[in-house]
Amino acid sequence: MKGSAWRSPSLLAGAAITAVMVAVALLSLVWTPYRPTAMDFVHRLAPPSAVHPLGTDSFGRDVLSMIMAGAQSSLTVALIAVAVGAGLGIPLGALAAARAGLLDDLVMRGCDLAFAFPALLTAVMITALAGPGAGNAMLAIGIFNIPVFARVTRGAARGVWAREYVLAARAAGRGDAAISVVHVLPNIAAVLMVQATIQFALAIVADAGLSYVGLGVQPPQPSWGRMLNEAQTFIWRAPLLAIFPGLAIMLAVLGLNLLGDGLQDLLDPRLRRAR
Amino acid sequence: MLTVSDLSVTLPMAGVPVPVLSGVSLTLPRGGSVGLVGESGSGKSMTALAVMGLLPPGARTGGQIGFDGHDLLAAPEAALCALRGRRIGMVFQEPMTALDPLMRIGAQVAEPLRRHLGLSRAAAAARAAALLARVGLAPPRVTPDLYPHQLSGGQRQRVVIAAALACGPDLLIADEPTTALDVTVQAQVLDLLAALTAEAGMALLLITHDLAVVSETVEQVLVMYAGRVVESGSTAAVFARMAHPYTRALFAASPHAAVGDPAPIPGVMPDPRARPPGCAFAPRCARAGGECTRTVPPLLGTDAHRVACFHPHAAR
Repeated sequence: MKGSAWRSPSLLAGAAITAVMVAVALLSLVWTPYRPTAMDFVHRLAPPSAVHPLGTDSFGRDVLSMIMAGAQSSLTVALIAVAVGAGLGIPLGALAAARAGLLDDLVMRGCDLAFAFPALLTAVMITALAGPGAGNAMLAIGIFNIPVFARVTRGAARGVWAREYVLAARAAGRGDAAISVVHVLPNIAAVLMVQATIQFALAIVADAGLSYVGLGVQPPQPSWGRMLNEAQTFIWRAPLLAIFPGLAIMLAVLGLNLLGDGLQDLLDPRLRRAR
Repeated sequence: MLTVSDLSVTLPMAGVPVPVLSGVSLTLPRGGSVGLVGESGSGKSMTALAVMGLLPPGARTGGQIGFDGHDLLAAPEAALCALRGRRIGMVFQEPMTALDPLMRIGAQVAEPLRRHLGLSRAAAAARAAALLARVGLAPPRVTPDLYPHQLSGGQRQRVVIAAALACGPDLLIADEPTTALDVTVQAQVLDLLAALTAEAGMALLLITHDLAVVSETVEQVLVMYAGRVVESGSTAAVFARMAHPYTRALFAASPHAAVGDPAPIPGVMPDPRARPPGCAFAPRCARAGGECTRTVPPLLGTDAHRVACFHPHAAR
């Protein structure tokens, strides 16, 4: 198992890109080349140079510093959103799997209902109602993650419930809740981990989308989405202003997707053997 | 201690209720042993699941299952949970799948101890190690921190047995405990089961399709076919006579007991959705007469030996 991890290029590349992203985000908490909010009107829209490696924006802010700080806010929003989605979705899905029947139908039809709304539109609606800001963006993205986790958990958990060792646990006098925690969740953890990675990538895109339309992290705190928005005005004069945050989003999503794919490949033979 | 009387179970199949057990009765005294024998689909596992209260959802039951004064069919789920694993242990057919692949074997044996006896983690672990040693899984070859995939099939079945016996139950239900094992290991596991139950004064309900297995292990035998008991009695009496044609056919088909090559039973068991009106074995039976296809033969005889057949065999 350990050996095969090194033979999976997508896992390695994904893990490396994600690690760099996380490192950059963490670093931005203690150090950025310039203060990401510091304006320098003399050097507005400066091209990349030794002083400003990625240039400056229309307010003369250092783009590299903003991208670093943006990584931190994007990853934080995505992480908390996925935690909200997983934290509520996994128990719901596990409950639906454990109690087939009316409750199962209720949860699953609820998910269907949630899926009927386009995810980003729902998030826009929620932030429009609750007001813009990082907290509401996390909540909004988190809410549309709940049915995703609920459905994946239920599907995988039902497979485990059909196994004989669950019957054996019931024959040993275990209740449904204990079986869910002790036997079912550990056996579907791999599936959930892969799903969480992919949802993380989607949450980053959603966060960028929300902050692009001004519903995410509020100024002056930098975010990738708003950098894109602000770059629009100068797209012909300074196209790099749009390209750099775009690249950052693309890299973060690519890294997480590769990581998710790699994890799936790594965990799949084990799942196949257990089946 | 365990009294099953006139048990019937109906399961919904594609929405239609289908009888899978009818009129099953058995008595298992404390420390006694009963073998349930029959082909796949004869209802023997369903009987065990009914006793455990683990019938599939939608199952409808009739009759009574008395266990030490409790009616298990009427007992609430919480009462059954307290009974399962504590007073009734169960060993499953497939040791490959009856253990959680992600849990160390020691923890799996310790689980019921903590759940039912309220032992601390350390006390349960120590007890689990002792139980594993008792079923022949002792260090250095097998330690409690191994995972199921690191064990052979026979070793895993020993873990399942240790877990089932952990709380010292009064009744052990073993559902085809040796079917999935190598022939060389089967005898060892059966001997172990017999020794452990005798040692603890535990009652044993042994389910198998192999008549030869029960002949050496249990005191009483029930032969089941298509959800009904067709022959029952003390092992000695049933083996001495084998009055029901199905019992003889099953014996002849057993690889261990048959003289010469095992003879397969011609035909297949009738689909439970379309059982013939009379004796369910009649279509496969050489002795069947007109009444066999019209009326279900009643199970008649004494406690020592009963048979449900209009044309039973005389003594062998």
